[in-house]
Amino acid sequence: MENFSEKRFGRLIQRTLLSGVFLSLFFFLLGFAFRLSGSGSAGLLLRTGVFVLVATPAARVAMLVYGYWRTKEYHFALAAFTVLALLLVSALI
Amino acid sequence: MLVAFGSVIGILGSVLGVGGGIFIVPMLVLALGIPIHQAIAVSLVAIVATSSAVASVNVERGLANMRLGVALEVPTALGSIAGALLASRLPSNVIQLLFSLMLAAVSVSMFLKGRGSVKGAVPAAAELRPAGGLDAAFFDPSTNSHTAYRVKNMTPASFVSFFAGGLSGLLGVGGGIIQVPVMNLLCGVPFKAAAATSNFLIGVSAAASVFIYLKKGYLIPELASVMVIGVLLGSFAGIHILYRARSEKIQAAFSIFVFIVAVKMFARVF
Repeated sequence: MENFSEKRFGRLIQRTLLSGVFLSLFFFLLGFAFRLSGSGSAGLLLRTGVFVLVATPAARVAMLVYGYWRTKEYHFALAAFTVLALLLVSALI
Repeated sequence: MLVAFGSVIGILGSVLGVGGGIFIVPMLVLALGIPIHQAIAVSLVAIVATSSAVASVNVERGLANMRLGVALEVPTALGSIAGALLASRLPSNVIQLLFSLMLAAVSVSMFLKGRGSVKGAVPAAAELRPAGGLDAAFFDPSTNSHTAYRVKNMTPASFVSFFAGGLSGLLGVGGGIIQVPVMNLLCGVPFKAAAATSNFLIGVSAAASVFIYLKKGYLIPELASVMVIGVLLGSFAGIHILYRARSEKIQAAFSIFVFIVAVKMFARVF
């Protein structure tokens, strides 16, 4: 197994966060473009953008679980997993 | 106008380590007449945007302490859920009064500390960082050197983080206004790293609360998306300021900012 360095871990978290931010931004801009053209699906696109954005921290926490598991820092992996479980609980309440 | 306002909030959020909820909620309620629950929901979404954008850069630069962040995220997320659930049962004026008094004390303490010598850190050589520990180091371009620090007092910090998370659900703020002073004053984390780590973790507390507001149908997607676009523009500009600025200056600005918020909250009680 190749070395999972601190730098690679940081880059993984960065890409996860940026992907979520830019994907949500894409949906927002598309939604506004549809709104200007009078399309009915504008609302759905904007709601999708919000959902993607709000799911981004959860995706980042999931990557923390993976990263700390790879670096064998199991107590941090467990802490991240607990946070992920709490986010799931908040979505289900 | 909302995009411009969001940009200013984004800059403040990324530089000070707060999400900007304390500005967004009053602005939406007082200037636009948006009902408080909807304003809180929009504010929480904007906090998630600021946090995600700023953290993405700060993690890569090594400014955000991920281990400390994830350790504090557990009590913060717990508090956030508890705050959202208890929102309707607690007497808000009592909470606001206590909160404003605590903020005033924090702001004075931070201002005095910022004026003294300190940068908030307990000096430690970078190589002393034990594997798997919370201690860390980062490169500070304003001093052109590496700053290493040790993290202390995690037990009381976890208790306060629970309270900070509770505020997220209760008032629509990310909790950075508490997390930054806690990490700086209680844990001994240098201000820049504290602001970056706060930004890293407030996204989780805001997301935990926003799920609950989403399910109650309080979110206006159009308003949230406009605010998010503005906030993201400001956030990326703010990251640059945080990285280059001197810790003492940011610390002084933050203490004044916290004091103003404390006075405003105190005034609202009476």
